[in-house]
Amino acid sequence: MRNTVKTILIAGLILVLSLGTVFAGGSGEKESTDGKIVIEAWTEDRHDMEYVEQKVAEYNATNTDNIQINLSIISDNYRNMLQMAYSGGTAPDVAGINSIPINMIADTGIAMPLNDFIAASEEYQKVNDPYNQIYEGTNSKNGNIYWIPTGMRSGVRVIYNKDLLAQCGYTEIPSKLEDYIDMAKDITAQGQSRFYGIGFTNASPFERLLEMSAEMSGIYYYDYVNGRFDFSGYKPILEQGRRFFTENIAYPDQQGVDNMRALFSVGMFALWSNASQEAAVFTEQIPVQGFEWGVAEVPTLTGEVVGALETTPSKGWGIISSTKHPEEAWKVIEFFQSEDFLKGYLEAGYCLPSTDYMASVIDSSKTGRLADFALKPYETVYPKPPAVNLSGDDYRTVFWNAVMGYVDIDTAIEDLNTRYNEALDADVAAGSATRLVIKDYDPLHPDQGTPEYLTE
Amino acid sequence: MKNKGLARQIKKEDKRDRRAAIIMLSPVVILLLICSIYPFLWMFRYVCYDYNGFNATFTGTRNFTRMLSDTTFWTSVGHTFEYALYKLVFIIPLALVCAVLLNQKIRGTSVFRAVYFMPTVISSSISGMIFTFIFATQNGILNGMLMGMGFIDAPIQWLTSTEHVMSAVTILAVWGGFGNYMLYFITGMNVISEDVYEAAKIDGANGIQTFFKITLPMLSPILKVVLMLAITGAFKDYEAIMVLTQGGPGNRSMVMFLYIYNLIFGSGLTNMTQPQIGYGALLSVVAAIIVGAVTIAYQRIARKLDEVM
Repeated sequence: MRNTVKTILIAGLILVLSLGTVFAGGSGEKESTDGKIVIEAWTEDRHDMEYVEQKVAEYNATNTDNIQINLSIISDNYRNMLQMAYSGGTAPDVAGINSIPINMIADTGIAMPLNDFIAASEEYQKVNDPYNQIYEGTNSKNGNIYWIPTGMRSGVRVIYNKDLLAQCGYTEIPSKLEDYIDMAKDITAQGQSRFYGIGFTNASPFERLLEMSAEMSGIYYYDYVNGRFDFSGYKPILEQGRRFFTENIAYPDQQGVDNMRALFSVGMFALWSNASQEAAVFTEQIPVQGFEWGVAEVPTLTGEVVGALETTPSKGWGIISSTKHPEEAWKVIEFFQSEDFLKGYLEAGYCLPSTDYMASVIDSSKTGRLADFALKPYETVYPKPPAVNLSGDDYRTVFWNAVMGYVDIDTAIEDLNTRYNEALDADVAAGSATRLVIKDYDPLHPDQGTPEYLTE
Repeated sequence: MKNKGLARQIKKEDKRDRRAAIIMLSPVVILLLICSIYPFLWMFRYVCYDYNGFNATFTGTRNFTRMLSDTTFWTSVGHTFEYALYKLVFIIPLALVCAVLLNQKIRGTSVFRAVYFMPTVISSSISGMIFTFIFATQNGILNGMLMGMGFIDAPIQWLTSTEHVMSAVTILAVWGGFGNYMLYFITGMNVISEDVYEAAKIDGANGIQTFFKITLPMLSPILKVVLMLAITGAFKDYEAIMVLTQGGPGNRSMVMFLYIYNLIFGSGLTNMTQPQIGYGALLSVVAAIIVGAVTIAYQRIARKLDEVM
C-alpha cells in the first residue's frame, strides 16, 4: 500500500512538472506596480534600439496619462510571433506593423483601423501628414488606414569607390545600363584580380540593382491595367545582366550582404548598390577604409527615367484589435510619431523623413551621409500586387538564376508568367486573394491611380 | 487451497504492477500527446488549406495537385538523396577508421577524440558561417591551400558553381558529423572482449584480418544503429546548407527540408508571396513518408543481410 502511494506521488510530481513546462508562460492584462496602465509595444527593429529605449524610458518617467510602455524587440520571426500571440491572447497593444502584408493584418482584423484617431488628432496630422501617406495595399485597404510611416528607406542607389573609378579613368556613374556594365568590365580588366568592377551578394541580388534598373526603365512584374502578372518586359534587363558573368566582370563570389559590404569597404570592388541603410553601414558598422565613396542614381536601359523607383515606408505603428486600452494605445502611437521623438530619430540617421514637415524641422547636417540618399522625385511606393500562394521559386530567384546562366531567359519568363498567373487565378477563385486593377495606371506615378479589387 | 491463494496473490501483484506502470507511463504519454501527436494532427488538418499564419482558406485537393507538378520540390527530393548518398559514403567509413585508430592504446588519443568530436557541439549556423570563409573563391583558405600544394591552378568556385557546391556541402556535413558517429563506434568497440583479440593474435591474425574478421562483425549491431541514425539525419539536414548556400546556386543544393522551411517560415519572401503553411504541411508529410520509407527499406536490407551472414 505504501509503495502504491509512493508511486502515485512520484508519478503525480513528474506529471505536474512536465505539464508545468508545457503550459508555462502566458500573460493576462497587466498593470504596473504603481497603478499605471501598461501598454505592451512590439517592434522588430533592433538597429534603433538605443534611441527608442531611451525615449521610452523618458516617456515612462514623465507622461501625465498614467501610461507605462513595455517595449519588446522581437527581431526574429516577427510575423509568426505576432500571429501566435494574437491567437493565444497575449498580443501586444501596439506593434510596428509596416513589414507585415496588409492582408494579414486587415482581412484578419488583427490591426484596428486608425481613421477616427487620426481625424481627431491635429498634432498627429501636422507631423505625419497621414492623408498624403496612404498607400493602397501597403498601409491602407478599402478606406481603412492601419498605420502611417514615420520615415522612408530610399530606393536603391549605386554606391561607388571614387578613388578606384578615378584610377581607372572614370569620374561619374553612367546613366545607361549598358555603359555601366562596360565601365565595370573595364575596371575589372584594369584590376587584374587585385580589384573588380562590381560585386553582388547572394541575398536577393536581383533586387539590388537589375530589378530597380527595370523599374526606372518602366518595367514591372505586375500589369496593373489588366490585373495579371507579366514578366515579359525583363528580357533586355536580363540579357544585360548576363554580361556580368559571361564576361567575368563581377567579383567571383557572392557572399552574405555584410561580407560583400566588408569587401567593398576595403576596395575589393568599385561598384555596389543598395538603399539608404548603407549610409550608416559605411560610416559606422563597416566603415570604408582609405577611400572616398559616392552615391549615384541607378542606370536605366535607355539612360532616361521612365518609371518610378520603389521606396519602402518604414517604422509604422498600429493598434492590435485585442487591446483593452485603445485610447492609451493611441496615445503611445502619438508619442512614437511625435515631433520630439521623430526629430531625434531622423537626425540620428535611422531613416529619411517621409513628410515635408519633418524634413523642415530636422537639422539635415546631423544626418551625415544619409543626406546623399535623399528621395528623388521619381521615387514612390507601388500599390502592392496580390500576394499569391506560389509553387516553386519566386521571380527574384528565377531571374537571378537566369542572370547566372542556370536557366534560359525566355524559359524563365514563360515559367514565371505561367506559375504566377495560375497561382493568382487559383487564389482569386478560392477567395484567398483579390485581383488588383488600376485602369489609369501611370508607371511614373503608380500610387496615383484608382485601385479596384476584383473577385474574379 | 495453497495454490489458489498463490494465484490470487500473483494476480493482485500483477494488477498493482499494471497500475504502477500506467501511472508511471502517463506523464510520458501525455507529453507525447501534447508535444508530438497534437502538433502533427494540427499540421495535418492544414494540408487542404491555403494558410498564411493569419487566414486559412479551404482549397480541397489543390495542394496535392500543386505538389505533383512542383518541379522545385521534386528536384529538391533528388538533391536530398544525392546529398545523403555522398554524406553516408564518406562519413561512415571515416568515422569507423578514426574510431579504430583512436581506440588504440596510444598516448594522446583522448585529445584527438575531443578535437574530432568538437564540430558536433558547434551550432550548424556557426559552422556554416565559418565554412563560407573557408570555401571563398577569392582569398578562401581551402583554395589557398590547394593552390599552395599545387593541386589546382585556378581557384575553385566552391559555393557559386553548380558543379562544386554539392562537394562543399558534403565536406561541411562530414566535418560536422563524423566525430559523433566515431564516438558511437568507439563505445561499441569497448564492449568487444579483449580475449577475442588476444585469441586472434595467438592465431597469427594481422591488423587488417582482425578488423574484418573480429571488429567489424562484432560491431554490426552498433553499425546498424549508426547507419540508421546517419540515414535519417542526412535526409533531414538543412540548417548548415541554409547558412552556407541558401540552397543555391541555381537551387543545386536545395534539399527538401530547406524548401519546406522556406515555404512555411517565409524565408526569402517577396512582397507578393506569403508563408504557405498548408502546402508546406503537405510537403512535410510527404517528406516524412519518404524518410520513413527509406528507413524501412534500410531495416529490411539490414535484416536480410543478417540472415545471409
